[in-house]
Amino acid sequence: MPIQHIKVLRNGTDEEELKVVETTGLPTWDADTKFTVVGRPQSRLEGLEKVTGRARYSYDVRLSGQLYAAVLRSPYPHARIRHIDTTKAEQLPGVHAILSSANAPDDITWYEEKSKLFDKTLRFIGDEVAAVAAESEEFAQDALRLIEVAYEPLPFVIEVEAALQPDAPRVHDKGNRVDEPTIYERGNAAAGLREADVVIEQTYTTQTAVHNSLEPHGCTAFWEGDQLTLWESTQGIFETREQVAEKLGLPEHHVRVVKEHMGGGFGSKQVPWKQTVIAALLSKQSGHPVQLMLDREAENLAAGNRNATVQRVRLGAKRDGTLTAILADIQVVVGAYMVGGEASEVNGMYERLYRCPNVRTEQIGVYINAGPCVAFRAPGHVEAAFALEAAMDELARALQLDPLTLRNRNYSEIDQKKEKPLSMPNALQVCYERATAAFGWQTYQRPAPTGPKRRGIGIAAHEWGGSGQPPAYAWIKLNGDGTVDVVTGTQDIGTGARTGLAQVAAEVLGLPIEQISVHLGDTAKGPYSPTSAGSSTQASVGPAVFAAAVEAKRQLLEVAAKLLEEEPERLEIRDGVVMVEGEPENKLTVAEVTGRLAPHMIIGQGARGPNAKDKTIRTFGAQCVEVEVDVETGEITVLRVVAAHDCGRIINPTMVDSQVFGGITQGVGFALTEERIVDEKRGLVLNANLEEYKIPTVADIPQMTNVPVNLPDLAANPTGVKGIGEPPLVPTAPAIANAVFDAIGVRLRHAPLSRRQLLAALATQAESIDKSAPPHTQEGQS
Amino acid sequence: MYPPKFDYYRANSLSEAFSLMQEHGGAKVIAGGHSLIPSLKLRLADPGALIDIGRIGELKGITANGNSTRIGALTTHAIVAAAKNLPQGLTEAAGWIGDPQVRNRGTVGGNIAHADPASDLPTVFTALGATINLTGPGGERSVAAQDFFTGLFETALQEGELVSSIDVPTNGGGSAYAKLFNPASRYAVVGCAAQVKVENGVCSAASVAVGGLTSHATKANAVEAALLGKPLNEATIAAAAAQISQDLGDDVMGDLHASADYRRSIAPIYVAQALTAAASRAG
Repeated sequence: MPIQHIKVLRNGTDEEELKVVETTGLPTWDADTKFTVVGRPQSRLEGLEKVTGRARYSYDVRLSGQLYAAVLRSPYPHARIRHIDTTKAEQLPGVHAILSSANAPDDITWYEEKSKLFDKTLRFIGDEVAAVAAESEEFAQDALRLIEVAYEPLPFVIEVEAALQPDAPRVHDKGNRVDEPTIYERGNAAAGLREADVVIEQTYTTQTAVHNSLEPHGCTAFWEGDQLTLWESTQGIFETREQVAEKLGLPEHHVRVVKEHMGGGFGSKQVPWKQTVIAALLSKQSGHPVQLMLDREAENLAAGNRNATVQRVRLGAKRDGTLTAILADIQVVVGAYMVGGEASEVNGMYERLYRCPNVRTEQIGVYINAGPCVAFRAPGHVEAAFALEAAMDELARALQLDPLTLRNRNYSEIDQKKEKPLSMPNALQVCYERATAAFGWQTYQRPAPTGPKRRGIGIAAHEWGGSGQPPAYAWIKLNGDGTVDVVTGTQDIGTGARTGLAQVAAEVLGLPIEQISVHLGDTAKGPYSPTSAGSSTQASVGPAVFAAAVEAKRQLLEVAAKLLEEEPERLEIRDGVVMVEGEPENKLTVAEVTGRLAPHMIIGQGARGPNAKDKTIRTFGAQCVEVEVDVETGEITVLRVVAAHDCGRIINPTMVDSQVFGGITQGVGFALTEERIVDEKRGLVLNANLEEYKIPTVADIPQMTNVPVNLPDLAANPTGVKGIGEPPLVPTAPAIANAVFDAIGVRLRHAPLSRRQLLAALATQAESIDKSAPPHTQEGQS
Repeated sequence: MYPPKFDYYRANSLSEAFSLMQEHGGAKVIAGGHSLIPSLKLRLADPGALIDIGRIGELKGITANGNSTRIGALTTHAIVAAAKNLPQGLTEAAGWIGDPQVRNRGTVGGNIAHADPASDLPTVFTALGATINLTGPGGERSVAAQDFFTGLFETALQEGELVSSIDVPTNGGGSAYAKLFNPASRYAVVGCAAQVKVENGVCSAASVAVGGLTSHATKANAVEAALLGKPLNEATIAAAAAQISQDLGDDVMGDLHASADYRRSIAPIYVAQALTAAASRAG
């Protein structure tokens, strides 16, 4: 039996490695490997199901006797429930179950135990007050209107600056600071600033943005005896199972979580939210299956968002551009609670992206009375890049250096935090070269202004994880007719994981992809795989499928060798045919081999092995942007974006393009239009919908080009794959802001770059030009 | 979200509509439903009964009649956008409303009866000097567009009356509509409709209206006055457009998408855009 390497903690500190499943000694897909399926465009295996409407999402689950649930949510940003009376709602025909603080279990807590499932203290508009299960969504909504609640409104705080005042209303008893600040320092940042010839000091802010996944959060819960099944829209079926089992006091094997198809999560579904347990309890109480899907308003109030930030940045550099210091003081506005899952580490990019001996970051989380934040596609990095990459642009202007030159001058080939080499030290270099070449950065000729329209270009870079990691498991089952079932407990959150995993299995087994089926998204049917977060599914689960396929192939060739009277080492599989090296006539199809074996079966098991220990594995990327700015209306139009992103080996170029185009689209929204707006006087969210909250559509997106960067990274895993899900969003917004500066000479430091902000900045610039004597004052110069 | 309970009545003729309206006081008239259904679902309205006039044939269609074209109140935006015998300022404005689904369902009469301050057609009809024909149990009457829109969601319509048609003059010269879209809803943040005539190289007639700025579509008299007798070029148009601040006074409204100051500051740009396009079409 193969063995896996597992680290075991001894006495809380020492690590010891145990081997359970063998993950070493596998072949690798190196640069010379010839491929037939991998690296080629492949349409999604589930594409037809989706475009014909047959694919079943959580909302499409219809069970016999199913009820529909709706949630009553706090209308106040901060309040205490004095009294709640559900009598009238209970009497409404069609209502089967009601939960509130009056009758819900008191011992189920949420948000780091800071809130009960139904808490009497409400800390944001949208906080759960009560829930109803009824025979239709309409009955449930009618019932909500009949619940009588006496609220005692409490003082609340919405603005981060106000929240940090000593006398501010307290979101939690201990105050509005989440924790002690996280401080990192290497070298001596203060001394680094003193050494500098030029210092840039600016404060940048980023907004609260909401995920707006096409499919909202929600689930259908169903009990059969003491077995609970949840059809849940989640990025992590096993994480959901573990947490729901814990909250409900159930053994894990009594909870099954299913996620067949999904309309996106972007991080907001990497943790289970209250509604999942509420649905399970309503189902238990009513004895019926219960479906609880959030509507768009609830989705945008109470199911996570990207935390707003305030970032005070200081950069110091020598005349030649060499960085002497990077400092960042960061406030992260987390909303009313810490949700769990990935925290937004804004500090990380400051510490890693550029070579600099003196770096200091200080990050603090701040509570306010608004919906809680949760990981959102490249959490922390999107926010950090907006500030750091703009500050680098300001520094380049102050030094009269090309922004690309400045970046190259401070190129880091190592992981400075851990003092280890990077697995692919030239990856970012390749991204710079390919993006700028395809864009025409060096040769760009600015068109003459037409009327009020001005053109400009900008560049920004980023770094991110995405290496993938253990554990993840997969099984390969070879059927009698030569077809293959790939079984794993991962989930396809809309990225196309099924297709990427099928390509890996098809390649190893030498079979056409039509002979492969991938089964995922069910804790009862597949072995453990991790939550799909951190751009890691293909890089974590792909290698497990690879290992399982290698093992299945080994067994298959052993059988084929007996039938062909040959040594297994001399056999190869190509296009479904097992052939003997150098003897083209001596062959059997895979189906002939498995047919001879049936009903006995070949089963390959695979596990994801550890990453290389002596190297740090990161992903990198760069984007170049051209914008057109209308100096009369303040409108910014993004004309084109050219992207180059390192994601290791490209398994499916079409799916990589999809991720890049989707990321840029979200980046354009983050840069220009997306912002949750809260009325400070009453704490109301004014645009928890899609009419007032503008996400880009096809009419708003620029011409997009993805330049493939195919750099297999074997330090990550034998397939050489790293993630691409999150990174493409990261550099878009700062590249746009930098291009706006290039176009009109004013710097916008607050995302989103609104028309109002742009016109105000232009007006200030006009004023300062009027007043200042020297005609060529350069913004950002110190 | 779903609407409160209501009774539904379908009127097959105008007379039937009037008797239903008389019978069910407080009932709302529904045609395309694009303003009414959302307010029902948001529970901003609870009329108890809806009277559907959507199938009354006599209220549909576009008929040219000499120097004027009549648009039936139930004509959809899509039909108006595609019409050949209407001023270009009107057809382009209709073509920019919402999206294809909205344009295929929403009606011209419903749009102006609702009188949303950010709506496009009130601005256009005001600039084009259109006449709104109203009908009620007591007979017909006509109101000039500039007198029809009286306030925020308020019109000259009286209890029991319906908009039956709109007469649009087709001999008013070149016309155009320019607007800053709300990026999400496509409503006008600022909209301007203009119509000009040029004779002997100078502007002999000008009619300009703006929307999205104040409580209802507003005629821009100061802008018009500044154009008359002038050759229409970049400088004269810019100078005239700057007069819009006179016409707007202190009543400009703001919301979360655009402050009053921002709207006021960009209004001249869209006035100038509309005038420039209208002048180029004036022949």
